[in-house]
Amino acid sequence: MAEAGDIAIGIDLGTSYSCVSIIESSQPAVIPNEWGERTHASVVSFLEDGTVLVGNSAKRNIITNADNTVYSAKRLIGRFYFSDEVKKAQAVMPYKIIEGENNSVRIQIRENVFSLPEISALVLKEMKAIVENYLGHEVKKAVVTVPAYFNDNQRQATKDAGRIAGLDVLRILNEPTAAALAYGFGRDITQKIAVYDLGGGTFDISVLEIGKDVFEVLSTAGDTYLGGDDFDDRIMTWLAEGFLKQHGIDLRLNKYCLQMLKEASERAKIDVGRDGQAKIHVEGICQDPTGKVMDLDATLSEAEFNKMVMDLVQRTFKVCDEALQSARMTAQDLDAIILVGGPTRLPIIRTSVKHYFGKDVMAGIDPDEVVAMGAAIQAHSLLDAKSEHYLLDVTPLTLRVGTVGGYTDKIIDKNTPIPIERSKAYTTNRDGQEKVKIRVYQGESNKASECELLGEFEFSGFRIGYRGEVRIEVTFEIDTNGIVNVTAADVETGQKTSCTIRLSSGLTEEMIKEAQAKNANTQLARGEAAA
Amino acid sequence: MDEAFEIEAQALAQILDELDYFQILKIGQNVSPTEIKAAYYRESRAYHPDRFSTLEPCEVKDNIGRIYKRINEAYVCLRDDTKRAKYLADVIGPERQKKLRFVEASEQEMKKEKEQEVGATPQGRKFFMAGLSDMAAQRFASAERNFKMALTYEPNNPNFKAKRDEAAKLVKSDMSIR
Repeated sequence: MAEAGDIAIGIDLGTSYSCVSIIESSQPAVIPNEWGERTHASVVSFLEDGTVLVGNSAKRNIITNADNTVYSAKRLIGRFYFSDEVKKAQAVMPYKIIEGENNSVRIQIRENVFSLPEISALVLKEMKAIVENYLGHEVKKAVVTVPAYFNDNQRQATKDAGRIAGLDVLRILNEPTAAALAYGFGRDITQKIAVYDLGGGTFDISVLEIGKDVFEVLSTAGDTYLGGDDFDDRIMTWLAEGFLKQHGIDLRLNKYCLQMLKEASERAKIDVGRDGQAKIHVEGICQDPTGKVMDLDATLSEAEFNKMVMDLVQRTFKVCDEALQSARMTAQDLDAIILVGGPTRLPIIRTSVKHYFGKDVMAGIDPDEVVAMGAAIQAHSLLDAKSEHYLLDVTPLTLRVGTVGGYTDKIIDKNTPIPIERSKAYTTNRDGQEKVKIRVYQGESNKASECELLGEFEFSGFRIGYRGEVRIEVTFEIDTNGIVNVTAADVETGQKTSCTIRLSSGLTEEMIKEAQAKNANTQLARGEAAA
Repeated sequence: MDEAFEIEAQALAQILDELDYFQILKIGQNVSPTEIKAAYYRESRAYHPDRFSTLEPCEVKDNIGRIYKRINEAYVCLRDDTKRAKYLADVIGPERQKKLRFVEASEQEMKKEKEQEVGATPQGRKFFMAGLSDMAAQRFASAERNFKMALTYEPNNPNFKAKRDEAAKLVKSDMSIR
């Protein structure tokens, strides 16, 4: 039973923007900060005095305090240092990305080193503070959303971020599922729907069947390397190449110019979507060799913009094909299409989606707020367990174990409802063997090199015998958060064995405890309202 | 949680490993897909872990978790017409006790993959193998011909296509060197 005043918040932790919501008089409500802002840039700026600025005011520091301002951290969370995404980020991000232990990624700000969950935890701390400021009392529990296509490493890291921020994370919830929940909440409808979720850094599509009290995810597919940022990049390239042609100066070579260019590109994308044209003007973007200060001026038409991004838009539909196929459906079977994420405001997306599904998209849903609202609904229902609805979600990726020769074997198929478990028996292959090592992967290829490694589990503490004599049953479980747990037991004795994870970029309990203390001691600076 | 439900859950958890998927979803063996879905929803309403989110960790909670995972497992198998037919044959057959939990034959998967690798037809396999030994002996033009022949027997074999392209590329670079 929930205590009086006990409350759980719903947080949409986005690549570019975050949003927080709670249930008020049985309805989900987005909570604005003290300046009335309803969405907050997922940007963390470390100030000279040791305080930390988070949100839209921190975003302005990307240019003025570039080395000490972290943005798009979600693109890096739960990734290995050797991944392509990290290499790409190192080339464009002004902040310092370094290698931590066990192939993990760390961010260095002055003399301090932060893990990615610690950075995200500061965004979560701000979201928590917004609600606490609004309610006038502390909140401790939350549901945090992630892209449906996030793998186990990314989910685990997001959960760690919540814990570091001092939150009891009741659930890691998939963003499209949250959006569907907010859409169907209290409406008593029976429909088949698709949620098209194009965020700042990721794309998800989920196909659901919703009933009076049931939200069943039939399939989900996605691309964690595709988002609104990529649209900005196209404009950026176009601007930079135009400037290079005109003045012989490549703005991309200087990280400071690059940030100005990036900011101008994002603004241009929004303007062109809203007004059908964008006038780009950046004063003093650079100096020419003689020291003369130069401005950047350009006009972007909608037609030109559409041409630039058409292949990105088409890529989302390849993913949609995949999801529909997995759900054994065609676009005609769907009753409604829900758009989620800022970039879905763009006319090019709206028209293309309408064309692809042969149906108008659902009106009256705020693509920036609907995920946080769904998270709040789920948070509320987990709090009192008197829930009238059930979420039946799935795992987005096939779970695999490594076999000989760099291959993998399927353990749990993608789009399998969760929670689920599956066991597999192993026998020792050496006399007196003391350990069994298992590598666990997620992905759709039978080649290990094309899958994401989750970790190398080492089991010991079973009986010692001749080879082939000792049988170990390994159980793979995916819980309601989509997080993978692996345990093993001696088949004959039922004795559970102990497990160590050898290779994992995740944080240890000890590191989390340390980070919690650091997070609790960090003062959030109060910025000012956006101009 | 009411007492009757707790007793029911505990009893169900005890015999879980003796039940087949039809019994887990409390349905007959000849039900329609619509009925399977309805049963899955009904059992989800009863056993979904979210209903027990505020319950402190305890034996009953663990058991409910176990039951619900089995409900999902049953649904995944029975909602698929092909898997359901195979499963039904398994559980009404003599090896029922061993086959209560459906396992997709990964050996079959491996066999299929292997077939794709070396060819599923005798002629395709023959030409493919000949092509491979040509490649090893650096007779790229001959290898390309053999892979092309193999493809006439199995036009959709991705491995054959990849090898043909590889050989074609080598033929080209071979020529440019000379």
